[in-house]
Amino acid sequence: MKFAVSLARALVGAAILLSQQTVHAQAPKDAFVIGGVVPLSGAYALLGTSMQKGADLAVEQRGKVLGKPVKALWEDSETKPQTSVQKANKLLAGGVSVLFGDGASGQTLAIMPVADQRKVPLIVTTSAADQITGSARNKYTFRTSNLAFMETRMAAEYVKKVGLKSVYVVAVDQPVGRDTWATMKASLTAMGVKVAGEDFAAIGSQDYSVIIDKVAKSGADGLFIVTTGADTITLLKQAGQVKLGNKVKIFGTGFLDDDAAMAVGPDVVGVKTVARYHFSYDTPTNKAFVEAYRKKYDEWPNAYAGHAFDGINWFMDVVEKTGSWDSEKWVAAFEGSTHTNSLFGPRQMRACDHQALGVGLWAEAVKGTAPQPALMLKVTDTFPPAGLFPDCPK
Amino acid sequence: MSVVLIGLSIGMLLFLLAAGLTLVFGLLGVVNFAHGSLYMLGAYVAFQLVTWTGNFWLALVIAPIIVGLVGGILEYFTLRPLYGRDAAYQLLLTFGYILLIEEFIRMAWGVNFKSLNPPPGLAGTTEIFGSTVTDYRIFIIGFGTLLSIALFYVIERTRIGIVVRAASVNSAMVSCLGIDVGRVRTGVFVAGTMLAAISGVIAGPLLPLKLGMSFSIIIDCFMVVVIGGLGNIRGAILGAMLIGMTRAVGQQFAADWIFLLTYALLIVTLIFRPEGLFNVKVRQA
Amino acid sequence: MKRILLLLLLMLCLAPIVIQDRGHLYFMTLIMIWCVFAIGYDLVFGVTGLLSFGHAAFLGVGSYVFAFIVIQNPALFPLAVIAAGLAGGAIALIVAALALRLSGIYFSLMTLAIAELLFFAASSPLRALTGGEDGVTGVPRPRFLGLDFLDDTKFYQLVLGFFALALYVSLRLRNSPFGQALKGVKLNEVRADQVGFNVKRLKLAAFAVSGVYAGVAGALLGSLMQFVNPQGLHWSTSGDVVIMTLLGGIGTLFGPVLGVVVFEVLKETLSSYTIHWYGILGLIFIVATMYMPNGIHGVLVSMRAGLVREKKP
Repeated sequence: MKFAVSLARALVGAAILLSQQTVHAQAPKDAFVIGGVVPLSGAYALLGTSMQKGADLAVEQRGKVLGKPVKALWEDSETKPQTSVQKANKLLAGGVSVLFGDGASGQTLAIMPVADQRKVPLIVTTSAADQITGSARNKYTFRTSNLAFMETRMAAEYVKKVGLKSVYVVAVDQPVGRDTWATMKASLTAMGVKVAGEDFAAIGSQDYSVIIDKVAKSGADGLFIVTTGADTITLLKQAGQVKLGNKVKIFGTGFLDDDAAMAVGPDVVGVKTVARYHFSYDTPTNKAFVEAYRKKYDEWPNAYAGHAFDGINWFMDVVEKTGSWDSEKWVAAFEGSTHTNSLFGPRQMRACDHQALGVGLWAEAVKGTAPQPALMLKVTDTFPPAGLFPDCPK
Repeated sequence: MSVVLIGLSIGMLLFLLAAGLTLVFGLLGVVNFAHGSLYMLGAYVAFQLVTWTGNFWLALVIAPIIVGLVGGILEYFTLRPLYGRDAAYQLLLTFGYILLIEEFIRMAWGVNFKSLNPPPGLAGTTEIFGSTVTDYRIFIIGFGTLLSIALFYVIERTRIGIVVRAASVNSAMVSCLGIDVGRVRTGVFVAGTMLAAISGVIAGPLLPLKLGMSFSIIIDCFMVVVIGGLGNIRGAILGAMLIGMTRAVGQQFAADWIFLLTYALLIVTLIFRPEGLFNVKVRQA
Repeated sequence: MKRILLLLLLMLCLAPIVIQDRGHLYFMTLIMIWCVFAIGYDLVFGVTGLLSFGHAAFLGVGSYVFAFIVIQNPALFPLAVIAAGLAGGAIALIVAALALRLSGIYFSLMTLAIAELLFFAASSPLRALTGGEDGVTGVPRPRFLGLDFLDDTKFYQLVLGFFALALYVSLRLRNSPFGQALKGVKLNEVRADQVGFNVKRLKLAAFAVSGVYAGVAGALLGSLMQFVNPQGLHWSTSGDVVIMTLLGGIGTLFGPVLGVVVFEVLKETLSSYTIHWYGILGLIFIVATMYMPNGIHGVLVSMRAGLVREKKP
């Protein structure tokens, strides 16, 4: 027994020593280290791996920040907020200069307090929940990508433009789903549009046939979808199979992208959505980015990669301009800064809530022609920033 | 009325999912936690076959055979030594299967979603009771019915079925009669695996194929199996229908209560009739 | 046995001097918290022989109770931990009372069903209270005796204290008449009943104690991550503890500890070296089940027995 325990202790010690040698644990102090907490497995694996690709490209192109090599350390948050917090803590304890991530809004909200307490900047380029720059905002968190408010604004504009009279909503039964719908509902009611029905489906629902049937029978002329990831595909696929798109106009906020469109199949044509980014967006910076990305990864960049590239670049620009290693100076400089070199044309970081202001893209799913994907998004409207963002909190 | 039809198709899908699981448990006493992974594997293999040949029906026949082979290999080399040991070890073992299969699929097909479509003949829709229902769902109802009848017949009426049932009750006696019990067991496991794969192929056109789809359905499977009665095909059908109808009707009229209803049903079943609502044999509690 | 315990704990106590990396300390703290969970779980699973699939329920409930109290005031940490433990124990009693009407796989499935129900309740209907899937953020680290445990080293020592207590209590329980009775129940329930033990009450007691362990572990976990969410109630959390205990060796004092350490360290190191760590972990589980029926502890014991035999002249 005694021996067994001694051996056990030796094993534990060896194990700890072993884990000390892994690259992830050590963050060299003489480099600018970006700690990335992204989902590389689990439901959002595609999202996380894309974020990683975009960020890695930015880091590779940059090479050095403040005269020292810049590198990214990656930890898999497994699409679980608990793991996000654990990995964020691990990276912070290892001494990273800045945190980057996470994927799902719930995960990002979980790691924000951690970054705040350790006083390390956190760059958010994916999660859209309003609270991140709203009720839960903190001094060290910055978001360079879209938020749900702006996306519902665009959707409401679409409703107005097309003149829909009655809208049915299908949303995921999660805070982000419910909150987005609450905002949209207010806009719709203000415009005098009727709400034909509401259905909240559990995340991971396999079968939307009853809901789809309800929509078809409700007399609505529009279907507003607030789902994410695989649920979007399931819903659109099943809706497409009964040709729901012929009866109602299907649209949503940031729920559909090129990859999802491919997974749905031909029935996706005609669905409208906010496009968080598109490789076809015509700016010189974007063209250069898309070319470099295709060269390195042999695929078209999606929104997660695009925003990751853009956000990381923006932050590195800001850091370079301060010329200092003091993170407080970075925070101060980031506020109010303008990213002239953005993929989307100039973007401005608002000081009051650390939300980036920029254009909004509205798109439609269409058939593509080679070498572009067979099914993809086409940007149909560009909304200027004015009127898209919530007022600065008091 | 259309709600009933939709409920039927939901129930049929659930039955297809659960049939293999309940069979393996009832006849082998093994709780195969990797059942969902085999379902996922079936869908992906079918996807690959359709990509190569463009023929859905071919995939429906061949994919289960391939996956069945995988199941047979796993059973022969790793599960056999464990019969008779605690259920906990089966948990650990089948959990190992889950990870292995997930990794294999990740390596072979990557993290992007894949898409399977209904075969050309079934891509249309029909108007029934004022609702538009896809032909594919009607096919699912028909296919599931046929499959359940076939399973029922094999287990209750054929010699193979009798042998299998006898082996589950008293394997020593069966082997005294000159039958290779080991082979019977492997056969049952392979059958369960093939059923899982079939359900994967059938469900494929309705969902995106993705890593982790195994986890989405595992709880559903267990619910059907418990409510219907472990090892009971008839129970599995009825249990699946019950859950399917509850879901459909619930979604139609009282969406917030669906989960609670189904779980309440599960817990009540376990408390008052743990052998399953529809089980004929009374299992020793 | 007590001497070994003291030696082990001394080594762990001195560890922060040697290991400067806060990331490692965080990791070791996490391991110790899981150990508390697993040690408690083994009382039900290894010692009494009941395969519970729903132990996450007690961990999760404990974590929420802890969070609600300690968010009011970080100095309430001791009270919050006790409350979490009691909550875990109470829920465990309820679950056991319901589930013990069944046996075998049905018992296990019942524990799973109840845990799932709680998971769902926390995620959706009760989201106003629990924050739903997004959980409760901003759970403060304890602040009492003039010490702020935001410092990872201090928190490590605090958790080490709990870990030591957990081991000690487990040691005493196993060797006590209560523990012996539980072992008897596992070996032969009918015989135990005939000899005069109240088997039902013994099982309930084992569950309750195990629930207290789980609740405390939940509290510590919430404190470490400064975050609580339904993941603690998820079936994968229940599954994890079963696997860790099995891997390590059920029914032994150090088995669960070994299991937790190996499981977590494997996950960490493997994921650093290869992206295929998932599959390799699967292979390890399969091999372990087939060739290590008594877990790692069993392997160590037989190694030692082999060495002893070798020594014969």
